[in-house]
Amino acid sequence: MTHLRIFCSLVAASAVFACSDRVAEEEDLLLVTTTSVRDSGLLAELLPIFQERTGVRAQVVAVGSGAALRMGRDGNADVLLTHAPEGEKALVASGAAVSRVPFMENHFVIAGPPEDPAGVREASSPADAMRRIADSSARFVSRGDDSGTHRREVALLKEADLDPSGGWPGFLSSGAGMGQSLQIAGEKRTYILSDIGTFLAFQKRIELEVLSQPAPSLRNVYSVIRIDPAKLEPVRAERAEQFQAFLLDPEIQRQIAEFGRERFGRPLFRPLHLESRPQS
Amino acid sequence: MNPPSIGLLVEITARTLAVCLPALAISLAIGLPIGIAIGGRRFAGRVPLVSLINTGMGAPPVVVGLVVFFALERNGPFGSWSLLYSPVAMVLAQVVIALPLVVGITLAAVGSLDEDWELQVRTLGVPKRWRLWLLVREIRLGLLAAVITALGGILSEVGAVMAVGGNLEGETRVLTTAILMYTQMGELEIALGLAVILVGLMLVLAGLLTAVQQSGRA
Repeated sequence: MTHLRIFCSLVAASAVFACSDRVAEEEDLLLVTTTSVRDSGLLAELLPIFQERTGVRAQVVAVGSGAALRMGRDGNADVLLTHAPEGEKALVASGAAVSRVPFMENHFVIAGPPEDPAGVREASSPADAMRRIADSSARFVSRGDDSGTHRREVALLKEADLDPSGGWPGFLSSGAGMGQSLQIAGEKRTYILSDIGTFLAFQKRIELEVLSQPAPSLRNVYSVIRIDPAKLEPVRAERAEQFQAFLLDPEIQRQIAEFGRERFGRPLFRPLHLESRPQS
Repeated sequence: MNPPSIGLLVEITARTLAVCLPALAISLAIGLPIGIAIGGRRFAGRVPLVSLINTGMGAPPVVVGLVVFFALERNGPFGSWSLLYSPVAMVLAQVVIALPLVVGITLAAVGSLDEDWELQVRTLGVPKRWRLWLLVREIRLGLLAAVITALGGILSEVGAVMAVGGNLEGETRVLTTAILMYTQMGELEIALGLAVILVGLMLVLAGLLTAVQQSGRA
């Protein structure tokens, strides 16, 4: 009898829980973001502030930038955070998105085992680094998932006149997120292209090192993109606008500038709206 | 992103079978004897052992994947074997998932035999070496249920094989991890195509086994 009572109250409690969730949904904003922004912990820090200021709770769906842009195109998102400039500009040009604002940046790194068998440290450019890796048939873990990072891999391979789908014996396509791809690279002692933020979060665990020098072709710009309001309920379009303005707010930009200093000893992102600096 | 060719679909399907069937064979080879041994005997500590097995039958595969991950990672106890993110690691995780299912269902089948089945067999003067054969014949329906359950468990599993296999193209990418990947990439048509293959595969294999099971009944 006691068991039955406990069971019934559990069922009742979960029903209440499920319902309360449903009520809150009407206040929400569907934010589709690239995984690195979520995995770095930045959103977990910013979203509560956004909710406090506006009363809007953002629901976060983290996928690769390619998938995020497709979701935006199909109207399955209110606002996007992505880092695939070419695809973003195409989305705006197609009319599916109305506003693309770059709001922060960091850079990609080519990481690998400290022994550096392919000589990436001596490479003259990121494209040259890729050529060295391919020429020595060294192992390289590719994201292979049409994410922003994967698109950059493809761009670097093309710049180096290499087959964009790899093609050398050591080329591995993981089809996985940045974190898992870094784990695979660490286990198999391979080279990999990663955004600096996720790399720093995993560095201790995987024992790989940054081997590349900063270069323009490794610049990684994150943008906030509003979907065509005609595709959204008016209230959601309004919230998307609020969210875009929120990210450009000087106080939030300062917070982005500080983010990561505590955990990694250095900031993970550079805000683009704090002082006058060139924007892409 | 190029859509996967027919060749690629065939390759992923073939690799799925190349991982799942050995895992099933190993689970059966180890699990059936253990199940029969535990099922037919009374001994001290049997109850805790059986409840441990029953717990294993409900073990979340993703937790199994995590445990195998820690065992095989470079700094783990078996790191020197370099098995993480290889098909061998996937087989290992699937055996850990399937083994309790095989043992649990087998011992339940043995336990469901008539209490004095063994007494009858003994009274009839059946030699000891034939008794095991008779037992297996007697519980064959239960054993096939064990095979079908184990196969379904590992064929449809994604968490563990993702964690220890890594979904590497041409190496450890199987139907479930490919479906997950294409879903996350927004390539829903390809994901759906692979899902149809997976369900079809299960339908064919379960159908074959059920045919065997039911023909044995007549």
